Amino acid sequence: MPDISPDRLDGYLLVAGILFVAGVFAIISRRNAIGVLIGIELMLNAAALQFAAYGRFAPSAADPQGQTAAVFVVVVAAAEAAVALALFFAVYRTFRDVDLEATRELRS
Amino acid sequence: MTVGTVSVLVWLLPLFAALVCTRLRSPGLAHGIAAVVMAIATALAATMAIAVVGGGTVTGPHATWLELGTFTLGVGTYIDAMAAVMALIVCALATGVLVFNAWYMHDDPQAARFPWQFCLFAAAMLGVVLSDNLFLSFCCWELVGLGSYLLIGFWFDKPAAAVDPTYQANKGAGARGVLEAQLSPAHAQLKAFVMNRVGDAGFLIGIGALLVAAVTLGRSGDVLGWQNLQEMAHYVANPTAMTIEQKGIWVTVSLCLTIAALGIFCGAIGKSAQFPLHTWLPDAMQGPTTASSIIHAATMVAAGVFLVARCYPLFPPEALAVVGWTGGITCLLAATIACVQWDLKAVLAYSTVSQLGLMFVGLGAGPAAGGKDAAIAHLFTHAFSKCLLFLCAGAVIHACAGHQDLARLGGLRKRMPVVAYVSLAALLALLGMPLFSGFVSKDAVLAAALGNAQSAGGLAWGPFVLACAGSLLTAAYMLRWWLRIFTGEERDHDLTHYAHDPSTGAKVVLLLLVPMTLSLPWTIGAWLPLPHGESHLPAMVTALVLLAVGGGFALWVFLLAPRGGRDVAAGLARSAAPLHAACGNLWGIDKAWDLLFTRGIGRVLAQVVAFFDLGGERRLEQLENAQERRASASVDGVVDGIAAGCAHLGAGSASLHAGRLGVYLAVAFAVVTVALLWGGLW
Repeated sequence: MPDISPDRLDGYLLVAGILFVAGVFAIISRRNAIGVLIGIELMLNAAALQFAAYGRFAPSAADPQGQTAAVFVVVVAAAEAAVALALFFAVYRTFRDVDLEATRELRS
Repeated sequence: MTVGTVSVLVWLLPLFAALVCTRLRSPGLAHGIAAVVMAIATALAATMAIAVVGGGTVTGPHATWLELGTFTLGVGTYIDAMAAVMALIVCALATGVLVFNAWYMHDDPQAARFPWQFCLFAAAMLGVVLSDNLFLSFCCWELVGLGSYLLIGFWFDKPAAAVDPTYQANKGAGARGVLEAQLSPAHAQLKAFVMNRVGDAGFLIGIGALLVAAVTLGRSGDVLGWQNLQEMAHYVANPTAMTIEQKGIWVTVSLCLTIAALGIFCGAIGKSAQFPLHTWLPDAMQGPTTASSIIHAATMVAAGVFLVARCYPLFPPEALAVVGWTGGITCLLAATIACVQWDLKAVLAYSTVSQLGLMFVGLGAGPAAGGKDAAIAHLFTHAFSKCLLFLCAGAVIHACAGHQDLARLGGLRKRMPVVAYVSLAALLALLGMPLFSGFVSKDAVLAAALGNAQSAGGLAWGPFVLACAGSLLTAAYMLRWWLRIFTGEERDHDLTHYAHDPSTGAKVVLLLLVPMTLSLPWTIGAWLPLPHGESHLPAMVTALVLLAVGGGFALWVFLLAPRGGRDVAAGLARSAAPLHAACGNLWGIDKAWDLLFTRGIGRVLAQVVAFFDLGGERRLEQLENAQERRASASVDGVVDGIAAGCAHLGAGSASLHAGRLGVYLAVAFAVVTVALLWGGLW
């Protein structure tokens, strides 16, 4: 049983892992494109959480490398969400649906 | 134009006609164009013949086709008296046959196919005759085989005799040796082609041996050309001790040249239907009679004789003995079979085989006895008489609605007088009656054989005796043929009631060819290269006695005895039943070939391959309707297994890229995870 006290790295990594697996599961199992997008967000946030946690427990805490990477991840996640939503709009205009099972053809 | 240019024209004009005729759908137009072109070729060939007959040779244009080290293979023409007269005969007969065929096939819907196939054959045959080297001869030799193949199978959709109701209803009483299941144009053409390949394999070996000998002797240039072969003949007459070493095998040059001679003769055995490869020629009668008349009687089958005559200097005495004996055996064997045939064309076919045997007897007599000239003379005269006989046979068959059974024909002389007397003239020429062409040439062949026998003695008497026996029978069976068709009462009134002479055009062709069956046109000028030996008189007396005995016997049996109400022929068949049966069964040669190769080795090989291929689970017979495929453990199983495995793999992997995003991602994660774990554990 890992030690989940706030002073230890283990708890943060555990939460990040759960988030990541939840994201993967969402991506694989969801049929709705929005659900898949949320899964991707979960995975990105799991990665950001890991970066922040490693940054916090790094030997030289004065160097904010981990926190910087976490901020980058947040930025990438925002940009990715914007692009993905735009794509979903395009898909929806073509197929009248964002169900991934219904949009298997590359042309309508 | 020089003679060389003319020779090229004579050769290529028929080829041009063949090309043009392939585009024509109208039988009349195609026959007309082909006949006109062949007539032009005949005129050109005549000018060529006039220029060289009586001595002298012309070397036509020659082009090198392939350079192989020190020697070359070329294409060119060479004209001497033999080639020029032969070319003239081919062109003249081809013109006549085309005109005749326009009548013969006037109600055949496939007639438009005949002229181009026929012209193709004529071009190939002229190639054999006019070529200036053995290699080009071989190429054209194969092409005449193609022409023969096409024309034998002219009516390729005709069913096999065994399942043909017309054949079964009309077949002759004595047709016992015939394998009916295999008697169809489609099978006959295949048989002719395959059996010729057997001979041609020997021919190729001969050419190879000749090349080896030529290179060893240090010759270069066009080593297969006739000039070079004549020069190499020096080593045949004066055996050299020079040897050839190839992979540890030592052969003397002389032996190599003997092998070459025998190989070339092997090709001639196939093409000229000599024992034991003669069985294809009677089957080739499945083709149109007009095609048979020139291809399987007058010219193509004589190509073997022509080729041996061409390479004559290369034949040492031992090889000539083989040639003579083969010819003699064939001459007698085919004559005995011809005596008991009931099919009108089969008699002529075996007669052709027998006469070709006689030509080889002449060739086997050797140069000292004038064997080559005698054989070529007989080739020339036989070409006309046999072509004419076949055309007459075609007229009879056409007049009697396709019936060719000697037992049912009869008394046609009154209904078809022109055909009857034209065929009688051709017949007398074939028998060697004085004043007819065959008298001159047959006499020359027998004289050559006798001269050789007298000088060499011993075994050299064999071919002469066999040829004499064959000649005796020839007189008998040919007269039987003619008397059965044209004399006596009408045996089957319904069959012969509507018979009549052919149309004017066809009649003109027949009548124009008649003078060539007389000896006069041949003896003025030097058309026939006749030898004049010591043995001339005894041979002539022998030939006349044989003719008188054989012909007289046939006249008694088939003309005089029936008038007295006696059927001597049937009595003879009864009293010599075993012999009669053996001849009727074609001496079992057809059946032996069938048993040995078609059913024996061929069948066994097929079974072995089938076992290897199918694992013995399915029989060969099932292949023909094997729709269901099931895996077996051998080669076929492996091949099928690979195919089935690929199909399964494809079907299985197809679901991976069906456009389902979840599956893609799951696979991607699985792969990445495995890779990371594997990388981490490394």
